[in-house]
Amino acid sequence: MRAWIVLAVVLCVPIFAQTKKSVPRAADGKPDLTGVWQGGSDRRGSWDEANTGLGLGGTGLDPSAPVVLSSNDRPADREGAPYQPWAAQKVLEAYKRRGIDDPTAQCLPSGIPRIVMLGLFPQQIIQTPKQIVMLYEYMNVFRVIPLNAKHPDDLIPAYMGNSAGHWEGDTLVVDVTGFNDKTWLSGTGTFHSDQLHITERFTRVNKDRINYDVTMEDPKVLTKPWVLHSSLMLREGTRLQEYVCAENNQDPSNFEQLLKDGAKISRQ
Amino acid sequence: MARKLSGMWRLAAALTLLATALLAHHSFGAEYDATKPVTLTGVITKIDWTNPHSYFFIDVKDDKGKAANWKLEGYPPSVLSRTGWKKDVTMKVGDTVTVFGWHARDGSNWAHSREVTFANGKKLFFGPPAGTGDGGNTPAVEVSK
Repeated sequence: MRAWIVLAVVLCVPIFAQTKKSVPRAADGKPDLTGVWQGGSDRRGSWDEANTGLGLGGTGLDPSAPVVLSSNDRPADREGAPYQPWAAQKVLEAYKRRGIDDPTAQCLPSGIPRIVMLGLFPQQIIQTPKQIVMLYEYMNVFRVIPLNAKHPDDLIPAYMGNSAGHWEGDTLVVDVTGFNDKTWLSGTGTFHSDQLHITERFTRVNKDRINYDVTMEDPKVLTKPWVLHSSLMLREGTRLQEYVCAENNQDPSNFEQLLKDGAKISRQ
Repeated sequence: MARKLSGMWRLAAALTLLATALLAHHSFGAEYDATKPVTLTGVITKIDWTNPHSYFFIDVKDDKGKAANWKLEGYPPSVLSRTGWKKDVTMKVGDTVTVFGWHARDGSNWAHSREVTFANGKKLFFGPPAGTGDGGNTPAVEVSK
């Protein structure tokens, strides 16, 4: 038995060493998060290679390929979000008017962590020793994240909040506060208050992947911190493009008309 | 990007029933009826590569040769460009195409466009599967019974 454990350790050491070595690093020795990434996916490869399924944004070239999850998708193995009973009821009721009340239906920023976990649109990270910039194609929003700095004391409530980061070993930890109460966290109707506080942990575990672990705290609506685990996959050769949502947004008015016409809006 | 889709729609239908793939913006479940698939063949009259969704319009002739103009909705330009489309090249006004999608719930000449088949047989997705943006059959919170 003991010999097996020793053998297992001996075999694993090179694997760990290889993994650690395969993480690209910046000049200051920190893991380099710079690159264009896709959220909501765990498939390696270029955008074309990783998006071949029949689901959202897939080309259908490989019908057996897994479906990329969207930010509104609750994976089968995810527990229900820990909302207080009155708030859980409000989350459920939001379904009926989601085509109007979803901030993104109105072309408003999709907030955090929803935008980080989106799979249909790429996001880009630009890392420097003193600050990290995150750019999102969806809604064309951005985050400028100073390192080892405090949040300003004159924050105006914001859709994307205010981010401040620091390194804990090889993990970038981002503290986000200063939110307004107008975005959804992850899933239809997942509202929050202006007391929302988010802690994100970005860990590049190899060349292809960043593990994204996010903790949401909101004493006004949640019973305990809501923790989600996701990943960002490197998409070399992909470039961010313009997305001006307000250009031709017909859907909220269509939804409004359907409600007036008495459309039955309910889950199957 | 040409694909063989024989038998694929059976799988697509199964995926539709699962209805778990969701887009943040699009409200498919409200605007379109997944139980009303529609296949249309017609001539392109207009293409709008716009955000948050793109549209194209086709004239579809009935048995008597009378044309009705249909509006088809799908992905935004950046997503189209990543799924094999080239603006003003892949599809042009005057082209004849066959579109598979789902009819709008209001019953007008309006549909969600899933797959476009071109005259040369090439096929591309113009929009996501039915159920996308439907909010999911599993709510984000537990439902007390």
